Amino acid sequence: MSNKKKILLVDDDLDLLEQNKILIESKGYEVITATSGKEGFETFKKVKPDACVVDLIMEEHDSGFILCYRIKKEEHGKNIPVFILTSATYDTGFKFGASTTEEKEWIKADALLNKPVIIEEFVQKLEAFFELKK
Amino acid sequence: MNTYKPKVLIVDDEKGLRIGAQRLLARENYDVTTAENGTDGIKFGTETEFDLAVIDLKMPDVDGLEVLQQIKAKYPNTVCFIATAFASYETAVEATRLGAHSYIPKPFTPEELLFNLKEGYQIRLVNLEAEKWHKEREERLLEVAFEKTRMNTIVNSITDGVLVVNRDGLAVLYNPSALRFLELPRIAVEEYILDKLRPEIFELFKKIVEEKSAEQKSYTIQIELKPNREFFIEATASAVLHPGENVAGVVIVFKDITELKKIELVKSQFVSMVSHELKAPIAAVYGFLKLFNDDSIKLSPEQKKEYENRSMVRLDGLLKMVNDLLDISRMEMQTVHREIKRVCIHEVIASILELFQIDIGKKGIQVIFDQDEHKQCIKADVDEITRLFTNLISNAIKYNREQGTITITLSLSDDYLLTTIKDSGIGLRPEEKNKLFTEFFRAKNEKTKNISGTGLGLSIVKRIVDSYSGKIEVESDYGEGTTFKVFLPTIISN
Repeated sequence: MSNKKKILLVDDDLDLLEQNKILIESKGYEVITATSGKEGFETFKKVKPDACVVDLIMEEHDSGFILCYRIKKEEHGKNIPVFILTSATYDTGFKFGASTTEEKEWIKADALLNKPVIIEEFVQKLEAFFELKK
Repeated sequence: MNTYKPKVLIVDDEKGLRIGAQRLLARENYDVTTAENGTDGIKFGTETEFDLAVIDLKMPDVDGLEVLQQIKAKYPNTVCFIATAFASYETAVEATRLGAHSYIPKPFTPEELLFNLKEGYQIRLVNLEAEKWHKEREERLLEVAFEKTRMNTIVNSITDGVLVVNRDGLAVLYNPSALRFLELPRIAVEEYILDKLRPEIFELFKKIVEEKSAEQKSYTIQIELKPNREFFIEATASAVLHPGENVAGVVIVFKDITELKKIELVKSQFVSMVSHELKAPIAAVYGFLKLFNDDSIKLSPEQKKEYENRSMVRLDGLLKMVNDLLDISRMEMQTVHREIKRVCIHEVIASILELFQIDIGKKGIQVIFDQDEHKQCIKADVDEITRLFTNLISNAIKYNREQGTITITLSLSDDYLLTTIKDSGIGLRPEEKNKLFTEFFRAKNEKTKNISGTGLGLSIVKRIVDSYSGKIEVESDYGEGTTFKVFLPTIISN
């Protein structure tokens, strides 16, 4: 078996899902995909990934938040980084971030990733988390 | 020179006097009428209005004082003289009391008569003038009173609130609507009001009163009186100026802009939703292009081809969405030019089905529709009706299962032409049914994931149906299929 780190990618836009999968795979990770909040949570429990990247707006406007919340309630979820993928700050004008502890507590995600994903930035953030864990 | 001849009535039983007076007065430019007894005197004197009358006191039939009274009763402004040889102080007093201007003792000389009549006529003119002024003044007073109540009625019945506050902060005038905006149960006129106003409104008042420049401005603010856009008001204050450009007070007009604010919110929500929906396909195509350009990523020719196709699909969807949005905006601005003609629904549906033949064939869908059996025509714009049924039939195909059916029937239902489109597709959940006609709503589940659409089709359908004063109903069982019922009035009023 390879010792590649497993990343769970959840997005309901199949094109974006595939693109991000290719990008992340090109950086030497294994990518498992899911296309809804529900499927995402089931896959999470099954594969126990090393990290999750979750799109914010899927079935509902807050599907990403809800999935994230559910993952973080799981024992395994507490130990891995979960990123929320969004461009919602531009769309709604509703400002939110995950920079302070308080915001992280409320949002549950470890970081927000802006769309479109800049892969180098993502890898950097991801590796920083893995580094912290060691 | 004035060509008017003063009209004089001479009432006397003495013939010589009548003839003499008539000659004399006609020469002096009077218009003379004579009466030989009291009865005629009353008759003439009350038939037309004379400027002057000279009445003999003692007449065989009717007493001169009686004639005087009758004439005065009818025409109070006729200046009357009593003429008599039997002069006594009492008679003179009595005559004046009854309205005679004066008393001419008989016999009188022509000069005496002329002098009296001339003076009498002057009096008559003055009296008439006075009466005219009096009347005008009364009319004007009435008018002012009427204007005042009219203004009050208007101010009291407008739905905007009006409050006038003088320099000292006393409420000078307000209407009942103002209470609602000021959130006060009542205001007493001349009551000091400034401490009862919200600080924002007080600031408005201050701004106007302290305005230094001669050129007075008005100021407007918006206040959310009840949160969550339940009650939003706009207050506009402007100066009430005294002559000499002193600020006498401030008039504040309050407007309920709650509805406006609600529309504003819906609009901005719509804009944000539109941007999100437009952004998704752009991001997808952008992502594929980035993959193509990324040297570190190796794509097989098959992969490349597939991604090109997927980009095309997304761009195609984007284009459709923009077109739908433009249609919606045209419908909202009502700039669509309608050509109302006879439109036969069965023909429209037949041609749409022909257009979708390939898609229908691909899915192996069986369409049950006999256009000869359901011939129905109405008056409408053929493009709009085509658009309406294209969207519904396209949905019936898209959301249908393989080897499914679509049944279309036309019938009359009261004053409506009812078109029923029934599919055997995925159906709708009850909660999805309510949102069906809102912009960008798309039933999202495992089954719809691979079906493309703008989320605007049914919203356009609804708008078209509404614009014809029709109605649309939807029946659906999840997993079983959906039936749309379109009711279009057989007589299109507009």
